Amino acid sequence: MSIKYTIDGVEVIAEAGETILASAKRAGVEIPTLCFDENTAIYGACGLCVVEAEGVPKLLRACSAKPAEGYVVHTDTPRVLRARKTALELLLSDHTGDCRGPCKLNCPALTDCQKYVNEIKDGKYKEAVSTIYEAFPLPASIGRVCPHPCEDACRRQKIEEPISIAFLKAFAADKVLESGDVYKIPTEPDSGKKVAIIGGGPAGLTAAVKLRENGHAVTIFDQQPKMGGMLRYGIPQYRLPKEVLDAEIKIIEDAGVVMKNNVKLGKDIMFDDIQKEYDAVLLAIGAWTSVPMKVPGEDLEGVQGGIYFLEKLGLGETPVIGERVAVCGGGNTAMDACRTAVRLGAKEVYVIYRRTRNEMPAADIEIEEAEEEGVIFKFLTNPIEIYGSNGKVEGMKLQIMELGEPDESGRRRPVPVEGKVEDIKLDNVFMAIGQVADCDGISGVELTKKGTIVADEKTFRTNIENVFAAGDVTNKGAGIAIEAIGEAQRAAFCINNYLCGDEVRYERPYFVEKNDAEVSQIDFESMPKQDREKMPGLSPEERKHNFDPVYFGFTEEQAKAEASRCLECGCHDYYECKLIEYANWYDVHPERFPGEKHNRPLIEIGTVIEHNPDKCVLCGLCYRTCEEVAKKTFIGLYNRGFKATINPMYPTAEAASYCATCGKCVDACPTGAMRKKF
Amino acid sequence: MRLVVGEGSCGLAAGAGKVHTKLDELFSASNPVNAEVTITGCIGMCFLEPIVDIYEDDGTLHRLVKLTEKDADTIYDAVVSGDLSKVKELEITDEDASFLSKQTRIALRNCGIINPMSIDEYVSVGGYDALSKILKDGMTQDEVIEEIDVSGLKGRGGAGFSTAFKWRAAKASEGTEKYLICNADEGDPGAFMDRAVIEGDPHTLIEGMLIGAYAIGAQEAVVYVRAEYPLAIVRLENAIKEATARGYLGDNILGSNFSCKMRIKAGAGAFVCGEETALIESLEGKRGMPRLKPPFPAQSGFWFKPSNINNVETYANVAWIIKNGGAAFAAMGTEESKGTKVFALTGKIKRGGLVEIPMGKTLREVIYDIGGGIRDDKEFKAVQLGGPSGGCIPSALLDTVIDYKQLGATGAIMGSGGMVVMDESTCMVGMAKFFLDFTAKESCGKCIHCRIGTKRMLEILDRIVKGEGEEGDIEKLEELCYAIKDGALCGLGQTAPNPVLTTIKYFRDECEAHIKDKKCPAGECVNLITYSIDKDKCIGCSACARQCPTNAISGQVKSPYVIDPNACIKCGNCKTVCKFGAILVG
Amino acid sequence: MSCCMEKHSDLSLIRETLDHYKNIPGSLIAILQKAQDIYGYLPVDVIYHIAEETGVAPAKVMGVATFYTQFRLQPVGKYLIMLCQGTACHVNGSELIESAIKDELGISDGETTEDGLFTLKNVACLGCCSLSPVMMINGETYGSLTPDKTKNILRELAKEGGATE
Repeated sequence: MSIKYTIDGVEVIAEAGETILASAKRAGVEIPTLCFDENTAIYGACGLCVVEAEGVPKLLRACSAKPAEGYVVHTDTPRVLRARKTALELLLSDHTGDCRGPCKLNCPALTDCQKYVNEIKDGKYKEAVSTIYEAFPLPASIGRVCPHPCEDACRRQKIEEPISIAFLKAFAADKVLESGDVYKIPTEPDSGKKVAIIGGGPAGLTAAVKLRENGHAVTIFDQQPKMGGMLRYGIPQYRLPKEVLDAEIKIIEDAGVVMKNNVKLGKDIMFDDIQKEYDAVLLAIGAWTSVPMKVPGEDLEGVQGGIYFLEKLGLGETPVIGERVAVCGGGNTAMDACRTAVRLGAKEVYVIYRRTRNEMPAADIEIEEAEEEGVIFKFLTNPIEIYGSNGKVEGMKLQIMELGEPDESGRRRPVPVEGKVEDIKLDNVFMAIGQVADCDGISGVELTKKGTIVADEKTFRTNIENVFAAGDVTNKGAGIAIEAIGEAQRAAFCINNYLCGDEVRYERPYFVEKNDAEVSQIDFESMPKQDREKMPGLSPEERKHNFDPVYFGFTEEQAKAEASRCLECGCHDYYECKLIEYANWYDVHPERFPGEKHNRPLIEIGTVIEHNPDKCVLCGLCYRTCEEVAKKTFIGLYNRGFKATINPMYPTAEAASYCATCGKCVDACPTGAMRKKF
Repeated sequence: MRLVVGEGSCGLAAGAGKVHTKLDELFSASNPVNAEVTITGCIGMCFLEPIVDIYEDDGTLHRLVKLTEKDADTIYDAVVSGDLSKVKELEITDEDASFLSKQTRIALRNCGIINPMSIDEYVSVGGYDALSKILKDGMTQDEVIEEIDVSGLKGRGGAGFSTAFKWRAAKASEGTEKYLICNADEGDPGAFMDRAVIEGDPHTLIEGMLIGAYAIGAQEAVVYVRAEYPLAIVRLENAIKEATARGYLGDNILGSNFSCKMRIKAGAGAFVCGEETALIESLEGKRGMPRLKPPFPAQSGFWFKPSNINNVETYANVAWIIKNGGAAFAAMGTEESKGTKVFALTGKIKRGGLVEIPMGKTLREVIYDIGGGIRDDKEFKAVQLGGPSGGCIPSALLDTVIDYKQLGATGAIMGSGGMVVMDESTCMVGMAKFFLDFTAKESCGKCIHCRIGTKRMLEILDRIVKGEGEEGDIEKLEELCYAIKDGALCGLGQTAPNPVLTTIKYFRDECEAHIKDKKCPAGECVNLITYSIDKDKCIGCSACARQCPTNAISGQVKSPYVIDPNACIKCGNCKTVCKFGAILVG
Repeated sequence: MSCCMEKHSDLSLIRETLDHYKNIPGSLIAILQKAQDIYGYLPVDVIYHIAEETGVAPAKVMGVATFYTQFRLQPVGKYLIMLCQGTACHVNGSELIESAIKDELGISDGETTEDGLFTLKNVACLGCCSLSPVMMINGETYGSLTPDKTKNILRELAKEGGATE
């Protein structure tokens, strides 16, 4: 006899003997469970499937409870949600592992580095490129210029050196570009919605791709003659050959993104018009103006913003400079400017930096290569005056500094050494102490004191209904390209939701991550060493007088060897893991329940299966499947309470053969606690 | 003349066996008065063990208490000489005797009176009359259940579920193969009622179970006995053998169509096996992990057949009810809870032991009138009921009436009958931690809330008693408590938070003192107390200094000693040995 | 996979028990209890033998043997001290007794002294609450313990046990 009842307002007919879980599933109501599986007997351990039935005082476990006629069941009452959330939080409070590798988690765009590195190892370059495109476009370009936070987090450095993740990315992207069978951006059918993106730099291009993938009509407006923004006009040719950038932008254009160049906002087009004409607007105009140093003499001829200097070069001009050049600042723009000055023939190139090398924000390799090319670093010096005659720069007075107490950034604050001043003779001064946005032409958008656009960090919305902003132009201002890309990717997510009428908000997913103490438990000492591959390239002498690309790129052999160094920190089961899926459904905060966490060695299950007890949720599916489905009972549940574990039968010579190596336990495991080793 | 030695486990532990052996030696050497030396189970006055009852031929009872092996000579002398004034010194005082006289004993009616190893003695006090009444007078199954229903008997194991309801459900279940199970896995630490019944009157249990088996239609009965009760197992095994030999057990009992066999299964140490479905798993030889309910055992239990499970005390009332009528039982107690309840009264109590009283008495009556109040004239602080599933009731609620509903309203529960009394020196946070430690260790590990939730609660409590408590800990404990009550799979988990919740409810100040002031008002939490010597009380006897394991106490003989707080490990040895109350803990 | 199972228990000792329970389903716990009586603990080879004879998978037998507190997978000392951790004993100072035992023998719960004489095991209630604090050593109950009394009992046993070694 069938039973009629409702669940979340949906009327359900349960067959005789059918549980709430089963009948709800047929009705399309999904109830979470970690321990239920149709192939094994009902177990009832996880308690995630609880539901509330009106008039029934206790929560019901849907996996076992059978509905009664006329039951009014709810799966989303506060009590139900709280019970599920607490269960998950308790589970996760004793769950040790890395859902994703630290490389991915440290990437501002959450690029799945581990995945594409391993695809490269297997020679699957197309797949690797498509993995990267899931996060952002332009992999060949970004792979060359990214300061790679991923590598900073790479655990391989605990053995010797991090994986060369960024160059591997460039390698794979180059391979695919060269193959002729270039990556094609998959697009959904036209949504009928129009999005305008102002600014065709890394942020604008990323958002364009993501929104195009969603099927929206995307137009990018950019004031420069070509797309690419800072990648084209801020980064010199020797680091990023513009042919590579062109090829990657073409992929975007081929996907149907309309690109309009030489269009200046407020002059060629009006912001108000755009805002009205398009369903949504993304402001991604970047930060193109050098911060002035506020010292006397900044207006002398020969004193320029570093980025302005680089931009000229990008536009194809060859600026004339003198023999003695100073670049003020310690970031990547400063490095690009000083190395460009070397290439343009300057004899003495100084970098003026008020702290020491340790505090320099520029990438180490950039500093190293600049030094190799003869750049003179004047650390602990600060310009106090630029002087000259006839309106032309002749030199600069520098205050000698020393490091004092740390400031709020954690870096030691430089303080002047009373009375110690140095004077250098100069023909050119490039200021590269920072860049700010220029928001002229964007009327009505709320700005910060710094002059950047106020954009919500979770929604990327500005104060205007359909206007979003991302990248260097927002909030705290200029950062590295991959940060702008990350923001653009999330902004595109929000814009898409906005266009679809969904909630406009991006929340970073919850990931289980090993903390420092847990990482220190890993035995890196005993792991075999394998040196990081050296990137082949030009010697300082060969490169310092031209703009030829410094690097040749990895050979295929090198790339595979390099990729094979990956420790594969991230969990193999991430995409299948129900625990992490549910954790993200219920916004968990397991840190609320700190306490003892297990730290147990891996357990061999027969010869091919490995059990990680620290990822085990004790749902019992493995051993129940082994017993009830595989009919082997090779594994069992041992001990009890907090000490309960899954174990295979005691290892004897014969024991291993008991295991059918069928892998059914691995398939049944809802988390990454079981895996086949081969 | 009969000499009856009280030989329950605790009597034996107190030395009853040695007294018995000595008496046997003496009387077997020469027994001119033909005195009989025999045994009985737990008399219930554990605070007076070992006990020997001398029955004169006219039935006059001389109850001799707190005996030692040496007293056997005096007893022998008195018995042989016929001059029982010689044992006057050993006789129980009137005050102590009131411990028993204020009780009403039904489940314990034969305990401490008859020899548990003798079916004849059981029969001689009317044993198996109820069974005969049913089988010979032809009471139907429904009539038996009806009688139990009239009595209002509820499960005495803790949950207090209607016995008649369960029996009716088991009887109604289809199938010819049914089981009747007795839960004698008395796992509540601090309770020993069931042990006393089995050790003292095993046939009462057997008779009650047989009646239950008849009522539901079971042909097999199983007693699941706690492994820590070896003596109970011996006595029950003997009783089963005797009853089988007499035709009370086995095929065609007393010539009727009713057949039932009975066996014992020894548990192996798992509190969760007190939960009926876990008990069934254990009976089947598996890990004692609870099954999901429904189905309830009445539908699908032991070997997935309809089964009824009650605890020992419940069955121990059954024969009396059938014999005297359900109405007689229901005449005792309150509107809500009928009959009597047995408690194991222990802790900081003057007169500890087994107490059976009609429902409706107050806690104060049990603790003060029967138990004699607090030992060493200290202040009553709380009484713990229901063990790890129960809670601590404060002095303000001492007049709470003992019935299921009113005890439940305090946040504690009736429980199986453990009643542990605490005085001012017991730290209530420490008590809560003690129970959580117990449940966390006993958690089977199947469900998340119990496995990890109790562990996390224990960790918080552990921090608090160590002086590492933080603002917000109480609220976090409460949150976990309610989550575990709601989410845990079985009764063990669902009730595990009770001791903590009652502690927070009634002793919040004490919790806060630990957290905010880093003080243990009861002076028990080692990390939160310091030992010092009251120089006005110290006479300089040096006893403390000699006992100090770390030589933290120094001074000149005959002048006050001092404790070096840095060297003191707070072991409490000094306090134990000081005869002058000069050791201060604060 | 390592092979380290001991193979030296006399399996004939358990024969009778296995035969006795052969046709009684659900007897695994009873068999393990008997085995522990015979061998003093549950050696792994005995567990495997029981598994083979009863047809219960070894992983299941191990699951049961590790679930119940009564079962031991390691040999115990000549004297098994079962220290009651019941409520009444707790209230009456069982912690002091535990530290006295630790003090005297240098062992904690579950450990055995190096000379193999004593094993300490905390147990749930022994049911002798009126005599609390209580411990049971090889079946004999000692009640109303004080730290001193406890140490004296252990010293006496050590003398006896040492002498008969």
